[in-house]
Amino acid sequence: SSLPLLHCVHRMFASQTEGELNITHVLKEKFPRATAIKVTDISGGCGAMYEITIESEEFKEKRTVQQHQMVNQALKEEIKGMHGLRIFTSVPKCL
Amino acid sequence: MSGSLGRAAAAALLRWGRGAGGGLPGVRAASSGVGGGGQAEQLDALVKKDKVVVFLKGTPEQPQCGFSNAVVQILRLHGVRDYAAYNVLDDPELRQGIKDYSNWPTIPQVYLNGEFVGGCDILLQMHQNGDLVEELKKLGIRSALLDEKKDQDSK
Repeated sequence: SSLPLLHCVHRMFASQTEGELNITHVLKEKFPRATAIKVTDISGGCGAMYEITIESEEFKEKRTVQQHQMVNQALKEEIKGMHGLRIFTSVPKCL
Repeated sequence: MSGSLGRAAAAALLRWGRGAGGGLPGVRAASSGVGGGGQAEQLDALVKKDKVVVFLKGTPEQPQCGFSNAVVQILRLHGVRDYAAYNVLDDPELRQGIKDYSNWPTIPQVYLNGEFVGGCDILLQMHQNGDLVEELKKLGIRSALLDEKKDQDSK
């Protein structure tokens, strides 16, 4: 059957997992002014652990821990299903 | 900055399953016996009891998670030997309670002077950009990395 092969090809060329796409979507909604969002599944595609990088002027003048809290809050539901996550936030350098 | 962790080294730290603790004098891997009513008050007292307080999976001698290990190793690099470490794996109520207290979903958690500082990513960032040396100085703790740098400068 060609189905497993198609699936393999899809995974090889698909740039993101469903989980990554979903989380990116949520972040785009919750941080409309974000200039860069990158979500990577670092659990080998299992959706257990993600690395999130997000740059937005919405983080301006906030301490790092507060910036991370904003991301935690935005992903409150998604985090419930995760084992862990890594967050890297930044403010755009040129406005 | 000598002793600074590059990305690759930091990634390696996170992969370590067991810490290379080897006897950390002054570290109290305490079990807090937290639970029941007034948990927030209990935790509040706990994080204020010592200058440096960390909540880990495992102990400084045997971290059970790469992220917790990273926190232990960073503190070790700075020569911070006297800190309170609480193992959330020993106490499920503590494990959930500390997350509720700080409104932060993950372990490890680092508290300096009773204030929640963040998890391992933030501590790593603070270590890399020199903020950790400054924060320790405010607590009256001289980072070992300052002495290392001094030696280097004088050569």
